[in-house]
Amino acid sequence: MMLLTLAHMLAVLLMPFVLVGLVNRTKSWWAGRKGPRIWQSFYDLRRLLFKRPVVSQVASPLFRVGAYVVLVCGLAAASMVPLLGQFAPLQFSQDFIVVAYTLGLARIMLMISAMDVGSAFEGMGAAREAAFSSYAEPALFLLIGSASAATGMSSFADLIGHLHNTHFYGPIVVPLVLALLILLQTEAARVPVDDPLTHLELTMIHEVMILDHSGPELAAMQYAAGLKMTLYAGLIAALLNPIDPLVAPLPAIGMSLAIMALVALVVGCVESLMARLPMRWVPRYVLLASAAALIAMLVVGMGVSKP
Amino acid sequence: MNQLIAAVLVLMLGAALCLLPVSNTVRAGCGLASQGLATALVWLAVAPVLLGAPELFIEMPWGYPMGSLRFRLDALGAFFLSWSLPMTLLGAVYAMGYLRKYFDGPRHVGVHFALLNMISLSFILVYTGEHAVTFLLGWEVAALSAWLLVIWDYTNQKVRFAGFNYLVSTHIGLIFLMAALMILYTQTQSWFLDDYGDWLSQHPGTVRNVVFLLLVTSFGLKSAFFPFHSWLPRAHAAAPAHVSALMSGVIHKAGLYALLHSLMLSGRPDAWMGWFLIAFSVTSAVVGGLYTVGQRDLKRLLGYSSTENVGIAGIGFGVGCLGLSWDNPALVALGFGGGLLHVLNHAFFKCQLFYAAGCVYQVKHVVDIERLGGLFKLMPITAMCFLVGGVAISALPPFNGFASEFLIYSGLFTGDAGNIWAKLAFILAATALAFVGAVSALSITRAFGVIFLGSARDDSLPAGHEPSGWMLVPLGIHTAGTVVLGLFPTLGFALVAAPTALFLHAVPDAFAAEAMQGLAAALSRLGAISATVAVLIALVWWLATRMQKQPPRHNATWGCGYGAPTPRMQYTGSSFSSDFAKPFKGILVLLKRHKAPAGYFPSDSYVITDCVDAVERRLYNVIGHGDESASEISRLIHEDDPRLAFAIGLAAIMTIAALVLLAEGALP
Repeated sequence: MMLLTLAHMLAVLLMPFVLVGLVNRTKSWWAGRKGPRIWQSFYDLRRLLFKRPVVSQVASPLFRVGAYVVLVCGLAAASMVPLLGQFAPLQFSQDFIVVAYTLGLARIMLMISAMDVGSAFEGMGAAREAAFSSYAEPALFLLIGSASAATGMSSFADLIGHLHNTHFYGPIVVPLVLALLILLQTEAARVPVDDPLTHLELTMIHEVMILDHSGPELAAMQYAAGLKMTLYAGLIAALLNPIDPLVAPLPAIGMSLAIMALVALVVGCVESLMARLPMRWVPRYVLLASAAALIAMLVVGMGVSKP
Repeated sequence: MNQLIAAVLVLMLGAALCLLPVSNTVRAGCGLASQGLATALVWLAVAPVLLGAPELFIEMPWGYPMGSLRFRLDALGAFFLSWSLPMTLLGAVYAMGYLRKYFDGPRHVGVHFALLNMISLSFILVYTGEHAVTFLLGWEVAALSAWLLVIWDYTNQKVRFAGFNYLVSTHIGLIFLMAALMILYTQTQSWFLDDYGDWLSQHPGTVRNVVFLLLVTSFGLKSAFFPFHSWLPRAHAAAPAHVSALMSGVIHKAGLYALLHSLMLSGRPDAWMGWFLIAFSVTSAVVGGLYTVGQRDLKRLLGYSSTENVGIAGIGFGVGCLGLSWDNPALVALGFGGGLLHVLNHAFFKCQLFYAAGCVYQVKHVVDIERLGGLFKLMPITAMCFLVGGVAISALPPFNGFASEFLIYSGLFTGDAGNIWAKLAFILAATALAFVGAVSALSITRAFGVIFLGSARDDSLPAGHEPSGWMLVPLGIHTAGTVVLGLFPTLGFALVAAPTALFLHAVPDAFAAEAMQGLAAALSRLGAISATVAVLIALVWWLATRMQKQPPRHNATWGCGYGAPTPRMQYTGSSFSSDFAKPFKGILVLLKRHKAPAGYFPSDSYVITDCVDAVERRLYNVIGHGDESASEISRLIHEDDPRLAFAIGLAAIMTIAALVLLAEGALP
């Protein structure tokens, strides 16, 4: 138990850097470049931490507080999300609601920080974030709902981690992983929903919201974004991990980390091979996650109602 | 019970004193003093009942045709009274600041305070009345007083229209209520609500179903459920801020009380009633939430969010109802407990948001979000209170809205229904609730971001600063309530425990106690998490400021290299919502007038957008068509045709005969 908690905390602290590094490495491999080191984003953040921030003259005190709220909420949610299979340091019934709403607090403070500088670009980013996340939120609940109906469990770690013990696992794992992958791309601002490398303010979502952040606040925001990707990648890992971490901790930890790395590679490949979708198609793409989760739910319903 | 009667007398005396020919300040003082005294008296009666003492009951002989009057203070009524009167008192305190400029003028301000006293009086009548007539009397006193309070600014034609709209709607609701009571009277020959309850619990069937639908319609109109909400945005935009706050947060909770009371009296509900309530409430919550997205008028936006929040509480009640019909005590406790807690929490944060909107109006004289901006620097206290209320209304931790929505979600996810499809239907309802949460986060970010952040959009508005303490104190108390109930939701549980237990009276004690313990455990866990998150945020912020060696430098906002930005270039509320609103054209009807710039040297050009109520628009269209077709028919009829006269006479005789025959059959 101690080992698992320790491993979970280390994964939460370090995986954001590793995953971002892996995605960037994959992209440079496709582009035929050598690419940055895996730990490059860690060095970037360390550099930012010691910089003197520049704040907009328009901004209110909320601007700087917001970044830390986003960071703390991300970490608080991470303590309830299963990353290493059927385990999370903090588990209780319906903890996934707390996860979703803690991330919701992070999102609202992110948007408010963006609105705070009175820039049309950042307002645009906040509006897109708000719109797309309200399409994404139902998908997460449908997904959790179908997993809880399939397993009859009530805590996040149990209902994701126990899924492979039920006879629904085969038919619903594909739609659930697809839904989680789309949610990852939406929430962590990856292609095809958002392009983290774009240099045109008009087409950004996440990057444009933190245009005016600098120094430690920018570091907090960047880290929180990486953390969000880690959480979703970890969910996919917990869903696919066949090893019970309570029985065989070390293999389960290794397996989960490997799957998370694999998810990062997939994200990197998607980013290399396709362009960002036109903004008006993004809602449809995000709704695809809801549709996939709904299919999983119907499969569970039909499976249970059949004698 | 004596304290309640004394409170009624004090409120009536206070209302009379408010009308005395003395200065406005003395009149308002009389109103406040009597409200304060009545609140204290009511609390003396209510507190023991809430803490588990037996209910209070009094029967008074009265003249024909009333028979005798009965008043009963049970835990449900005690719960509603326990916050309704103090919040009305706070509203009266707020009015002292809000109406200050009229105090030295010729306007008779005493009437306003007398009406606020009547509102408090109506709460006592509605929440304790056991006799159908006293209940209706309280209902009407509330409706008429609220109408007169709404039209404070009656010289404005729009305000009068909004007032009449409200008056007509609330009386349409009364017709449905009367119909239900008349059906019950013919069945029981009694005026007492508990007799109706006895009859309803013993006679499930068509009559009970009809009564249920009539009551839900009537109470839905009172609490502004969709599609019975069309009066609400107008009334809330037209009324003074404290009246909007009281209407939305307190007065219209009477509809939910009456719904709960009728559910409690009528025994074990059928499963379809629970499903109906859930479907009705989910629709309200989703549509109400969507409406908040497009509004330009801050008070209209907050009004629509009432429709959303009564929907959320209604989902809880529906879940509780299904728990009753499935004999599932955990579901009953989570559903009714969560719904009641949400009613209380909504009263706290909704009044808070309206008071903050009133502060904005007092300073800027507009609540059109497109003309405001950058108010955080002028009025930081109001801004922070609005933000706390906004985070709470989006049900986000660490504030109180989160605790009650968590209970409702828990009810939906523990749906131990036996049937998998019922469970999946619960999950769909939870998904809708998640969507509503995200949408209300969107509209609160939009409102807060556009009004309080950035820089001022319109220089022609007065500069101003924080309003007077009379307005800030009620705002502060409500904010404190929102925060405390969020960090310590067990306090809220202490208030809702007794009324929730009422719904568990049919369940064996051991199971009931277990269900209530589950509720308490969930809430204390949530409180611990919310408090931890709040403390961690404070800690990290403190560390970050300690670590910072040099203060941050200030510079212009990044403008993509453009050197001469103006405040008009900021993102507006309409542009913020347009991305989201496009797929929902049917509900978010956006009227747009624009003149595009043309030619090489474009002169004036403009875009004006306005989000109108789709239901109201449709309503007036239908009425318009009805009017036309009625005049069409009347043109076709020749009145001097004798055959027509005979036909109508015959139809009338047959109708009367049929009614007589039917009445014969209906008599016991």
